[in-house]
Amino acid sequence: MPYIKPYILQNFGNDEDAEDVFQDALIFIYQKLNTDSLKLHSSLRFYFYGVCKNIWRNRLRKNKKMVITEDTHDNAIISDPVVIKDIEEKEREYVYRKYFLKLNSSCRKVLNLLFLGNSMKEIAHITGYSEGYTRKKKIECKRHLMEMIENDSIYQELKRITDKE
Amino acid sequence: MQRTPEIFEKIEQYLTNRLSPEDLIAFKKEIHTNPQLQEEIEKHRVLHKILEDQDTLIFKEKLAQISSTIKQQDTTSQKKSTFFSFWKIAASIAILIGIGISLWYTSNTINQTQGLYKAYYVPFPSEDTIRGEITEEQGILKNYTKGAYEAVITTLEKHPNLMNQQRLRLYLGNSYLNTNQEEKAIKQFIAIRNKDRYYEIAQWYLSLTYLKMNDSKKTKTLLKNIINYDGVYKDKASQLLKALVE
Repeated sequence: MPYIKPYILQNFGNDEDAEDVFQDALIFIYQKLNTDSLKLHSSLRFYFYGVCKNIWRNRLRKNKKMVITEDTHDNAIISDPVVIKDIEEKEREYVYRKYFLKLNSSCRKVLNLLFLGNSMKEIAHITGYSEGYTRKKKIECKRHLMEMIENDSIYQELKRITDKE
Repeated sequence: MQRTPEIFEKIEQYLTNRLSPEDLIAFKKEIHTNPQLQEEIEKHRVLHKILEDQDTLIFKEKLAQISSTIKQQDTTSQKKSTFFSFWKIAASIAILIGIGISLWYTSNTINQTQGLYKAYYVPFPSEDTIRGEITEEQGILKNYTKGAYEAVITTLEKHPNLMNQQRLRLYLGNSYLNTNQEEKAIKQFIAIRNKDRYYEIAQWYLSLTYLKMNDSKKTKTLLKNIINYDGVYKDKASQLLKALVE
């Protein structure tokens, strides 16, 4: 954090951006470890910094603020095209998870059960709500989540790119 | 496209193959002629696909918890340096990911035992225990959560139910540990016997107390016991033991 935070603060970010990038980079590594696809050519810490920097550069680019001076001597920038593509593809996931965790706990519980494939009847049984209330709650929570995601600037930019393709 | 309850239901039934054969034919027809509906279905599909990965979601939640715990600790303790916090963040995350500390952080300048203690020690959590408690205990937990350990000690040392409430012993032990009274902490953790539900937790904190006191031998013995106990602290104990041996 002491290393990556100044980099982000110097490049149009704030504390919250630094924390988001820090956490999303860890998720990237966590998923790589889970799928046994992490290939390290240096220490994990160094790799981690590289992922952080690439994530932040992507975000700036998508927010059209990209004016980071290219430093060709910066070894922490990841140049492996496969990893770069991976990082970009994960960007959409970060947005979804970020807003999901902003929901209140009852919404998260209902939606979690929904995403796991449970029917309304099963969700009602697990949560102890009536089936009617569960249905209402699910719709309210899902609608709110989708609206938050759609209002995110990164999501909008990703959608614009996808629509263009 | 207007997000009505009916549309939500239809889309979800469609995505989970719960539409009747007749409804499926009709809905497919509607999808074919309605680009907005196609887009809406895709939004639901992506949402479900990403968020059904509970493992990553739980990991993200834990990261957020670590972040808020560390922030909370930093605001309650003026002694901690940025470097200390970073070491703690890095180590907590290394544990969470399940990798060795040495893979993450290779500095040899920090005293290994103290470094490991700082990496592995997280105060026994107090959340989810406040509800339904009497006022005095709420006060204890409030002080404990904000790191006012001296206040916790003062109250708990004269607490009449301490002998019967092992959880309070854990708070007291942790408070001693955070005020450099390791011998007193040991007494509290040892008092929790192996038939108690908090036994494994007590053993874990006891091992960390010895670690803090640089007593690697006792720490290792306790860690081996925790591993044999085969409970929730088994993985952490194995990692710490491995780090100590290295």
